[in-house]
Amino acid sequence: MISIRLRLLKWLIGPILLINLAGGVLAYKLAALAAPQAVPAAASAQAAADTARKQEQLRQAVLRALLLMEGVFAVASMGLIWFSVSNGLRPLNRLRADLGTREAEELAPLDPSRVPYELEPVVSAMNGLLEKVSEGARARQDFLANVAHQLRTPLAGLKTQLEWLGARHAEPATAQSVRLMQAATERMIRQTNQLLSLARAEPHHFEKARLEPLALEALVGEAIQQFVEQAARKGIDLGFELQPAPVTGDRFLLRDLIDNLIDNALRYTPTGGTVTVRCGVAGERVFLAVEDNGPGIPAARRDDIFSRYVRLDDKSHGSGLGLAIVRDIARVHGAALTVGEGIAGRGAVFKVHFS
Amino acid sequence: MQILVVEDDSVIADGLCRVMTAQGMTVQVVDNGNAADQLLQRADAAEVVVLDIGLPGMDGFEVVRRLRARGGRVPVLLLTARDAIEDRVRGLETGADDYLVKPFASAELVARVRALARRHGEPLAVLAMGELTLDCATRRARVRDRVVDLSVREWTVLEYLLQHGARVVSKQQIIEAILPWGDDLTLNAVEVYVSRLRLKIADAGVAIRTIRGFGYMLELAPAPAADAAP
Repeated sequence: MISIRLRLLKWLIGPILLINLAGGVLAYKLAALAAPQAVPAAASAQAAADTARKQEQLRQAVLRALLLMEGVFAVASMGLIWFSVSNGLRPLNRLRADLGTREAEELAPLDPSRVPYELEPVVSAMNGLLEKVSEGARARQDFLANVAHQLRTPLAGLKTQLEWLGARHAEPATAQSVRLMQAATERMIRQTNQLLSLARAEPHHFEKARLEPLALEALVGEAIQQFVEQAARKGIDLGFELQPAPVTGDRFLLRDLIDNLIDNALRYTPTGGTVTVRCGVAGERVFLAVEDNGPGIPAARRDDIFSRYVRLDDKSHGSGLGLAIVRDIARVHGAALTVGEGIAGRGAVFKVHFS
Repeated sequence: MQILVVEDDSVIADGLCRVMTAQGMTVQVVDNGNAADQLLQRADAAEVVVLDIGLPGMDGFEVVRRLRARGGRVPVLLLTARDAIEDRVRGLETGADDYLVKPFASAELVARVRALARRHGEPLAVLAMGELTLDCATRRARVRDRVVDLSVREWTVLEYLLQHGARVVSKQQIIEAILPWGDDLTLNAVEVYVSRLRLKIADAGVAIRTIRGFGYMLELAPAPAADAAP
């Protein structure tokens, strides 16, 4: 830890000593110059006048030297102070840069060993605040996860009852009403599951102990059933190109990742479109790719689609959480998530590369 | 088929009862673990048990543990509102056979219950969908009254698809069903059997949907223009 005061002193002490030394040397020289003339002082009037003129010259020389020294000293001091202060403020700028690049959910404490002694109380106060904020965020996530769990049982009851009702013959108006209730229930269930996924993918919930060797192609296989029905309803040609893809990960989170990527593709691909899910190993890295031939994502928006509650199309019934969940899950697995154009420049392809 | 449902949420229990009864199953409902444990002392209490984990009193894990400790072999499907991996692993380690997270689709539950019953009990004598019936004892397929002439492998493929109802099966699964001993059979051969089957059961009111690059699913026809794949 370095103090700003010490830093200033370190830079100022050398020049100050040097200037003092120079002053001393000058005074010594001047004294040496004046001394030999003191002995024959009263020899003659001519000599007296001579001495007076020399003394005048000496005074002027000393004055000029002093003025020059003052000027140099002033400029040097300004330079030194400017340099020292900006040097001293560098740790503050580093702190600002560190805080400035953080995402809203990055609430790790600041490192006090990287700032000067004088800033330590500020940093520890800020760390105290960060701690409170992240505790708040954690409590909010736990609360959401808890509520989502509590909602599952009544939602399961509602869904089962509505499915039974929907399977019975009813007059058209009743059947239509039951269908609408079923659609609303499905959306509620989806939102609830999304909230749970989001909570599970939080770094502080992510448990290394849950990691196990998994076959990505088998996980995709398990996810297929629900999407085949969803694709059939929309007339989308859903296809697969699955090669062996061994990964180490959290089974539930990776299922969430797969589900959200496929669901996203089916949701934004128009009727009659094509969605293809691939997995395998390319260049020694395991990958999962979901490609569609829908409207695609404009290059300018490719960064913000992964933020929460961002939807490119406000008419869709998405929660705006799907891709944020995918991003969070990829992040905790140390995988890289990219989005680009599909084959022939149409549609979008989302790729997850595992390291 | 005799099913025991152990579920303390009355709305779910009632819904399960209705759905499974509509599927021709006989359902008995109890709302706590102790009662379930009592009932399961009898070996013929149920063909399949649908068991919630979070029960008052004795929880679902304990019910399974006691059942297996007594040597009971009735298949158990666990239901849970929690999808923690610990639950899944613990459930399967304790001796449960399958696991479903709430909220689930009724069709999914029924399919899994059927699969469990099939795996543990006598194979079903007759499989049916639409106008198609397969008599497993005589290995004869019928569309209405017409007998469909099938080769042994075509029969195996169709039987496998029908056993899985309206669920997706992969080509690999079909190969394993045809040749349990791992003989060499290409994915293309499966495609050939399926296309022959499509012709032979074209008028049966069922269709074999292709899942591109993965496998097939038997479904009730008419499948409108949606099925564009060959």
